Amino acid sequence: MDMVVADNLVKVFPTPNGKEKRAVDGLSFVVREGRIYGLLGPNGAGKTTTLRMLSGLMAPTSGSAELGGYDVATQPNEVKRVLGFLTANTGLYQRLTARELLIYFAQLHRMDHDEASARADELIEWLGIGDFAGHRCGALSTGQKQRVNIARALVADPPILVMDEPTLGLDVLSNRIILEYIKRERDGGKTIILSTHYLDEAEDMCDRIGLLHDGKLVAEGDLDSLRSLAGEDRLSNIFLKLIRADEKVEAIVR
Amino acid sequence: MSFHRRIRTIYGKELIDILRDRRTLIAMIVVPIVLYPLLMLGSIQAVSYQVESMGEERLIIGILGEPQAATLQRLIETDARNIQREKNALDPQSKEANELPEPLDHFHLCPFERREPLEEAVRNRMIQVGVIFASEILTDQIDRTNAFEFLYDYEDVRSSFAVRRLQDMIDRTAERMKQARKKRFDLPAEFDKPFELTVTDLSTRSSVIGQILPLILILMTITGAIYPAIDLTAGERERGTLESLMVSPVPVIDLIVGKFLVVTTVAIMGAALNLASVSATVYFGGFDKVISSTGGGIPIAKIVFILLCLIPFAVLMSAIMIAVCSFARTFKEAQNYVTPVILAVLIPGGIAALPATRLDGIMLVMPVGNMVLLAREFLLGAAISPWHIVMVLLSTTLYAGAAVAVAANIFGKESVVFADAGSLKSSLSRRLIKPSAKPTISMGLLVVAVLFPTWFFVQAAFSPGPDEDAIGLLYATGWLMPILFLILPIVILAYWKVDIQNTLCVRMPSLRHLAAAVLIGISAWVPAHEINVLQQSLLGVPQSVVENAEILGETLGALPVGAVFVLVALVPAVCEELLFRGFLLSGLGSSARKWTAILVSAAVFGVFHFFLFKLPVTIGLGVLLGYLCWQSRSILPAIVAHFLHNAIGAFGAINPDWYEWIGVSTDTDWVHLPIHILIPGGIVFLLALLITARPSIPTIKQAVPAPAGGL
Repeated sequence: MDMVVADNLVKVFPTPNGKEKRAVDGLSFVVREGRIYGLLGPNGAGKTTTLRMLSGLMAPTSGSAELGGYDVATQPNEVKRVLGFLTANTGLYQRLTARELLIYFAQLHRMDHDEASARADELIEWLGIGDFAGHRCGALSTGQKQRVNIARALVADPPILVMDEPTLGLDVLSNRIILEYIKRERDGGKTIILSTHYLDEAEDMCDRIGLLHDGKLVAEGDLDSLRSLAGEDRLSNIFLKLIRADEKVEAIVR
Repeated sequence: MSFHRRIRTIYGKELIDILRDRRTLIAMIVVPIVLYPLLMLGSIQAVSYQVESMGEERLIIGILGEPQAATLQRLIETDARNIQREKNALDPQSKEANELPEPLDHFHLCPFERREPLEEAVRNRMIQVGVIFASEILTDQIDRTNAFEFLYDYEDVRSSFAVRRLQDMIDRTAERMKQARKKRFDLPAEFDKPFELTVTDLSTRSSVIGQILPLILILMTITGAIYPAIDLTAGERERGTLESLMVSPVPVIDLIVGKFLVVTTVAIMGAALNLASVSATVYFGGFDKVISSTGGGIPIAKIVFILLCLIPFAVLMSAIMIAVCSFARTFKEAQNYVTPVILAVLIPGGIAALPATRLDGIMLVMPVGNMVLLAREFLLGAAISPWHIVMVLLSTTLYAGAAVAVAANIFGKESVVFADAGSLKSSLSRRLIKPSAKPTISMGLLVVAVLFPTWFFVQAAFSPGPDEDAIGLLYATGWLMPILFLILPIVILAYWKVDIQNTLCVRMPSLRHLAAAVLIGISAWVPAHEINVLQQSLLGVPQSVVENAEILGETLGALPVGAVFVLVALVPAVCEELLFRGFLLSGLGSSARKWTAILVSAAVFGVFHFFLFKLPVTIGLGVLLGYLCWQSRSILPAIVAHFLHNAIGAFGAINPDWYEWIGVSTDTDWVHLPIHILIPGGIVFLLALLITARPSIPTIKQAVPAPAGGL
């Protein structure tokens, strides 16, 4: 089943000089249930804007998207119920403890207080954050914060997870913990969209990859099909070749 | 999860969050509890220390010429001797002895040759006061007077103080000389007192406080509201928690209402602590006398009352602050927005704090100003009509509601949340606004909130004075109502690319609903009359209502019949329906439930009549017409019903015989309708309701795309 369908998504931003910038330009892709779809691209390629449109934080200028069968534009509340959303720079409420924060978000997902605190304890156990569940979020390390953030995204046990550079700025150990969490969620049957510009990470994690450049998909497929398409083995080389950046790199280095 | 439970969840979390913040605690608790007593103690002690030390300071007096110096020296010494003598005659422990003036004992005389250097020395503050005698020698002749001149510098406290002491000394000496002369000529004590005047100040200390307290109140409440308002809106954005909040399945209006309630709570708590701290400092610090000469503390009942006044005020301020801060992306940006708002709030607050301002006219609906005045009038113990209280509370509620609705519309808007989605300015530019089918709640409430004081002002400006007819008011209404109620909303709708026809419900209704409209139009006066009679039997009829009805009747009688029906029936029916049942009800109906939308629009419609006595009937009529419009999905039935209802009222006003004919005379009190009118009228009215109850098309709520862009 297709859990995520993006159909010809376009997002145009106004710029200060009165011109328009097409941040996302006619993007279409689907993600099957229980798969990890990697959205890859350099900074400014339109990854974040795409994910924001999928999660209903931004309205597309044109085009449409469906998550779990719900239309993002006309059924925003249903979409929010099937979606867990996580970014690298999502903040936490500094003055709440991790546990209080999880209970609060569970309540926002329509659980009563008892259900919410049971769910919070479950997540604390599942993600191994018991050691710092009673600490205020402001006092946690970056890696610990991101683990609480994942717990927050999972609070309603949503079938779809949208993750925007979830490992940005983490050390190796935290990075590995977060990626293991994500794999475990996929194995549990969740559909995941992951954006990253760490290509090794994508190679390791994703069942299917979309290469995004200047708001357009330049190539899409599983790793093998991308390899044969570009005639390269490493994803980073495939990527450079497909966006014809190798010539630019040479020009700059020379 | 219900609306209330979601709000409770959000409220609980936000309150814990904000109360755990050190900055909030400092602003809310430490500042009032530590700072106020310290400031008060400090400044009062500083003032009394200064006064004391100035009393002990040596007076430096400049005088023109050596001989005059000797004369002044003699005068001062004689005065001191006399005081000493009076003192010796009294018991040193007695009250009289304590009240004797202090003689001038520490002083130094500096003789000057000419006037100019003497003036210069006073200006340079080398000396405190300059004295010039008109002649060298003083005289005690009864046909002569001794002329003096004192030179001093008003801006120099020491100089003013010195001149007062010298003046007192001269007055004492003159009084002694007068007494001696009366004795010498055997004159009675009253000889030079043809009048004896006593001026008694009846103000109490609380009235002194009452004058300034409301203004202090404004500052306290604003201080309490600013920080949480910024923290809960712009702070959420700056810390990056907004995205996770916005992807939770919670309507933005719930988030904003929860946050708004927290800001209101914190503002009230902060102001209560401030108030308690000030009262305690005054009471326990023994500063009663310093604040007012009559003494006495602030009565507890008044403190409680001030707190009650504070609640609607805190509600309004919190709503405004939340709305303003919702525009900001960062703390700093929010602070920049808040500063001009505070200044803008202080202006009406300041006007209201002026002693001569009264709670009437435009001040009744002046945002902030009306609350300050209401609080002050209560504190001063003035009699306030309940109509004024209702007006102040309702208008404040309307403004606060509009501000909260605006905040809900702005908060979480992508152009505010994400920097790359363009600035707020670009989101207001028409090119980028997407067409929508209906206005938002905030657009509806905001337009009405702006129209409210404007319309009040129009009514007040043209209302007939004593012995005047109401022709001016009628014509002003006839001209201005279409402009304000019709053209203004249409221009706004056109700018925001809102479907005007759909918003104003301009479409053909079913014949059934037209028939219902006619029946309602011709029968609604029956329940309206009965409500009036009921109300009168419970509350009586204010004289002003009777007078207004008389003035209106006379005015209408003098106008041509055609003009009466245009001005009283046609113009209000068209304009009010399109504004309240078209624009406002559509805006409210875009996200509120059916009956909430109808009731709110009816309440606003009622308040717009600025007439407390008419409130039950106008709100009832508003509900009826709103229901008719909602069921028929067309504005036309409401216009028809409103027109007929007003036309019948106008007909009654120009044909008083009609009342006789139906059996309710206008001469006596209003009485119930006779059965042969009441029963058929009631049946027609209920029949009309039954017909209305069946909607014209099975689904009333269309699939309206969420309005994008703009307010």
